[in-house]
Parts: sequence; structure tokens; C-alpha cells
Amino acid sequence: MSLTAQNPEFTARKRRGGGGFHRVEPYLYLLPHAILFFVFVVYPVVYGVYVSMHRFDLLQQTQTFVGFEYYRNLFDSSTPQSQFFWQTLLNTTFFTIVSVPLLVATSLGLALLVHRPIFGRSFFRAVFFLPGILTVSVMGILWRWMFDNQIGLVNAVMTAVGREPVPWLATQGLAWVPIVVGTVWWTIGFNMTLYLAALGNISQSLYEAAEIDGATTWPKFRFITLPMLAPITLFVGVTTALASFQLFGQSQVITNGGPTRTTQSVIQYITEEGFSNNQLGSATAMGFVFGVMMLLLTAVQFRIMARDAREA
Amino acid sequence: MRKVQLGLLLVGAALAASASAQSTYKGPKVTITFLHGFTGPDRPVMEQLIKDFNEKNANIEVRAQAQPWGTTWQQLPTLVARGNAPDVVVINEDQVTQFIARGALTPLTAADLKAGGINKSAFYGPLFKTADYEGKSYGVPVSSTAYVMFYNKDLMAKNGITKVPTTRAEFTAAVRACTSDTAGKKPGQAGFDATKLNTWGVSLYNNWVGSRAAYAAILQNGGSLTDSKGNANFNSAKAVSAVQYLVDLVQKEGVARKNSTEEAELAAFSQGKVCFFPSGQWYLDRFEQQKMNFGVAFMPRIGGSTRDAAWGASSHLTLPRQPQGYDANKRAAALAFIGYLSGAASNLTWTSTGSMPTQKAVASNPKLANSRVSGVFDRVGSLYATSGFPWMGQVLGPFDQAWEAAYLGKKSVQQALNDGVTEANKQIEQARKQLGN
Repeated sequence: MSLTAQNPEFTARKRRGGGGFHRVEPYLYLLPHAILFFVFVVYPVVYGVYVSMHRFDLLQQTQTFVGFEYYRNLFDSSTPQSQFFWQTLLNTTFFTIVSVPLLVATSLGLALLVHRPIFGRSFFRAVFFLPGILTVSVMGILWRWMFDNQIGLVNAVMTAVGREPVPWLATQGLAWVPIVVGTVWWTIGFNMTLYLAALGNISQSLYEAAEIDGATTWPKFRFITLPMLAPITLFVGVTTALASFQLFGQSQVITNGGPTRTTQSVIQYITEEGFSNNQLGSATAMGFVFGVMMLLLTAVQFRIMARDAREA
Repeated sequence: MRKVQLGLLLVGAALAASASAQSTYKGPKVTITFLHGFTGPDRPVMEQLIKDFNEKNANIEVRAQAQPWGTTWQQLPTLVARGNAPDVVVINEDQVTQFIARGALTPLTAADLKAGGINKSAFYGPLFKTADYEGKSYGVPVSSTAYVMFYNKDLMAKNGITKVPTTRAEFTAAVRACTSDTAGKKPGQAGFDATKLNTWGVSLYNNWVGSRAAYAAILQNGGSLTDSKGNANFNSAKAVSAVQYLVDLVQKEGVARKNSTEEAELAAFSQGKVCFFPSGQWYLDRFEQQKMNFGVAFMPRIGGSTRDAAWGASSHLTLPRQPQGYDANKRAAALAFIGYLSGAASNLTWTSTGSMPTQKAVASNPKLANSRVSGVFDRVGSLYATSGFPWMGQVLGPFDQAWEAAYLGKKSVQQALNDGVTEANKQIEQARKQLGN
């Protein structure tokens, strides 16, 4: 009691607002976001669980309850869902494994290059950032044309230097090249900007101290820059991995999932199941399974990288 | 130049339409909403038609909204379920059957058609039937597009082809004649290199548009995508042999490029490197602007000699299900609007967008005699839409995949079509459950 009496702010508020107001106030501050959170997150999730357990069609008067049928379909090898969901999930995982290290490493590299006071620094920063403002359809058509089997620029160059042209878009495996290269080109600027901001926050005194101790470029990078950047690397890594798992537009426009579904992403397949096959229940069930995997992945990633950041 | 042309067309359209813009609806003033997906160069033509209708009919106001087709397919179930669907919606041939089967649309009875001044028998039979289901009609055709064969007259003449092929034998001879490699060698000659073609016979490519050539071939040979119960059967002996012919043109004959894309073939045809370019009629405008010396023919009977056949796409005016207590005057006005928009005068105007006529009376109009596609008009009855079963999407997806695999040489034709049929039938089984039958 004496404690509260000594807190002038508390007593002042108590006089003004009357008894008990402080119990409501914090919740009022939370209310705007809580409304959005319930309307756009909690309600859709709960409703989604309902949809995924019914033969759901808004146009029907009644929705037949099917329990876990759509979840079971994913583990029943005779269904198209089990075949395509896991195949497209594997495709997406492959894309993520290839593109995330590339995206993190190249954006860090670029950031280091344009962080230094070189001639035309702002120009280069702008150039690297600019592709990010294109829509996915523009970016996709651009790279599809560059890698076209017959008339693409890449093959024209290869022919000019005496190599055989490669049917990029029609070859399993190689069809990923335009998607990965295009994605790196398209999204690298954003990550680079994050790294630039973090680089600017590293105190110069650390480098000066290291120089006095005789450190050269590489040790300075290895033992000062990299550890200081660990939190931002965690952030960039997690967001890039999540974005990569949500691959949709690039493979839709560049390869349309081909050849023979080998570049179809899991989100593309879920969309196909929901809106081409009109199996909304099944699509929602897959969405949940995929969503839970993403949650687990993020949790693991945070644990590993947070530990790294502490140890470093 | 193009703007001027369009302007003239619109003036002509207004004149042509004015005669029949007066509708059959005599009730009190109502406002009806109209949702369509004509968002391209066809949009101003559609808007002009609606404007004419509104000016001539003081008691009906049509409020139109254009949005991409795909958005409509995703939204329509919600709109109907919530009871706020537009009064009139345009639905395409590949979607209409599933919306009918799911109960999103209302049937158009003989009395309805009569009230709207719609004469069913004036339309091409198969085209009108595209929106029929279980003996009832649900839509009236407003637009129709054909899969045709563009041909390069100069390149054909240069290679001594004087007649546009119509049979498989003629076609095979013509595509061989059109083909030569960069060293000037012809197919069959020693040293002919099919990987380095300078000019070639026919454009085949990997995507869904390319797969419509296989669709035409299968139907021409007496095959089909689905049997009478709606199960996929595009791996029948007739289907396999028809598709095999196309794949052999690529893999054995070397008269079409391997691993090609629609864009690459389109560019090649524009550059005069290929004699025959089967595709959607929608490229007409593009080739005309390029001042090419080209013609348009109906797909030759390359798959077999059973019948003429090609893919046809179409758009249909439909009336979505409405909630209890829906104003009967609105429905009457909607029918009158459908009668106007699908009528001969409007359809004649609509052909300026590159659409095929939907009815004989329009096809025989002297104004269309000089149209490049007029040579195709006599076989509009041989255009086959991919409709009739609510799960056509589940059939076409695997079919397009099968064509891609066969064309690229990833699988044998038999294997590709077998795999496609297996997948399609699994999807169909699930679609049946979903629809509760």
C-alpha cells in the first residue's frame, strides 16, 4: 500500500479515472489490433477447420461432414492428393534449399559492396533495389522469355559462343534455373537494404580497435561484421525461407509448373485443388498441414539461429 | 489507324443495333446488374452495346461490371450463396457445366426464352447446347471462338503448295514440303538435321493451347475426352493413334520443332518460318497488324477422317440463382437484355472483336464476306466445346499434362494418355462425391 502511495503517477491516475479504470485501460489499447486479429486470423482459422472437415461447397444447402477424410487422403497412396501434395511440397522444399542461401549470401555480398563509400553508390543501391518493384507477372514473363527454349536470350548467347542451346523450360531440373535466378534478381534488393541498415549500425570503434590489434580484412569480416549481423541474418533467413516456401507466381508464370509438374509449388497445387477442382475442403486441409509445417520450421530456425547469435 | 477502324465499327454497330435494341420488357423501371469478363480490346464494343440498350430502353438500366474471368469463377459461389449475385453473368464453356451442376444457375424454360425474344433454333446447335445440362438450357451464347489453322501463303507458294490441306495425306505432304534445315536439306534426305530447322511445316508446342491440336485430332479420329458417363477415355486406341500422328511429326518426321513454346512458335510464324500455325482465332488481329500474307482455315482432318472437328470456346449469358422474393420484373428485364445481346444485330457487331458468329443469319451477312475467318464459318457446327460434365476441368488438366509429356518425349503417347486418364478418373470420382452423385 505504501508502494502505490509513493507512485505519483499511479495515485494521480487513480484520482482522475476513479477506481478500477486501470483494469480496462490496457485492454482498450489492445482492442484495435485484437479486433483485426480475431476477424482476420482467429475466425478464419476456426472456420478453416470446419471447412476442412466437410465436403464444402457454398452453393450446396448442406455441407456433408467427412471428419478427417481430406487429411487421411494425404497419406493414402491411391489418391491424387497424396501424390501431388507431397511431390509439390518436395518441389517447393528444393526451391527453398537452393534459393535461400543464394538470396542471403548474395544480398549480404551486395550490401558489403555498396556500403563502402564508392563512386555512384546511391545509383548502384537503386539499381539493385529496382527489380523488386516489378509485379510478379512482369518479372515472370521477362525471365520466361530470357530462358525460352527456342528464342530466349540465354540460348542465343550460348549459340553465339558455339554451345548447343538448352531447352531450359522443358527439361526437368533445369526448369528451376530461370525460376531461381529470376527470384534472386527480383527480391535481392529488399534483403540488401536490410543488411545495409544493419551494417550502418555496427560501431566503427570495433573495427578501429581490431586494426590496432593488426586485424586484416577477412578477420574483421569474420569476427566483427558477421557476428554483429547475426540478428539480421536470422531475420533475413527466416523471412526468405518463408517467402520461398510460398513460391507461387514465379513458377506459375515462368514454367506453369512444368515440365510435368516438376516445378509446381505446393501453393500452386492447393490453389488448383481449391479453385480448379472445386475441392475447397481438401484444399483447406492441405493448407493446414502445410501451415503447421511452416510453424515448426520457423520455430526450429529461430532456436538454432538464436543459439548461434548468443554463442557468437 | 486501328482506332479509326474501331470507331467506324462502333458507328456501324450503333446503326446495326438500333433496329433491335428495343426490348420485349414492358414492366416498370428496373435496374439490373451484369457481370462479364470481356476486359480486353473487346471491352469497348461490349460497353457500346450496353449503352445502346440503355438508351433505347427507358424502363431498364443495365449496370455492367467487367472483371477477369478467373475472379468471377472464384466469387460466384459466394455471391450466389449470400443472395447477392448479379442479375446476369457471362460464363465460359469450360465452367458453365460445373456451375449448373452445383446449382448456381437457373434453367431457361421455353417460356423464358420466348419472353426474352430468344430463338433457340437460330443459334448453331452444338454452341447452344454447350450450356445445356440434363435436358435443360441454362445459357445463351454471346461469344464464340474457334481453334483454327493459320497458314503462311508466301511460304506455301515458295514450297510449291497450291492448296490448303484438308486431309491427313495432303497435310503430311505439305508439312514435309515446307521443312528444310539450315543447310537446305529436306526431311528424308541424307544429312537432314531436324534440330537445326530453317523453315518447318507446323507449329506444335507444350502448353494447353498446343494441347488443343491433340484434342482436335482425337475427335477427328472418332475418339473423345470422356465417355457418355463422363469418365475420361482419351487413351482409347483412336485417341492414341491420333496423338501419335502429331508426336511423330515432331519426333520422327522432324517437320515441327521439339521442345517449343507458344511464344517461340508465334514469333516463328510472324517471321515467316513456319507454314501452318494451329491456334486460337484470337491471334487474327495480331497477324493482320503485321501485314502478313496469311489465311485462316478450319483444322484439316489430321487425326483421322471420321469427322471435321476443332476446339471451340464460347461465352454464355446466364441467370444466377437468386434469393426468395427476387423481383420477377428483374428476371423479365434480364431475359430481354439477354435477347438483345445475343440477337443477330448485336452478334454482328460483336464479330468485330474477332468472335465467330453464334448463328447462321450472322455468318451469311454480306458484311462478313471479306472477313478472313469467313472460310471457317461453314463448319462452326464442327466446333466442340469442352463442356457437358461438371468435372471438365479435372479432365482437361490431366489431358494437357499428358500432351505436354508426349510432345516433349518424356513419355510414350500411350503411357502419357494412360497416366492422364488414370489421374482424371480419380479426380472425377472425387468430384462426383463432392457433387453428391
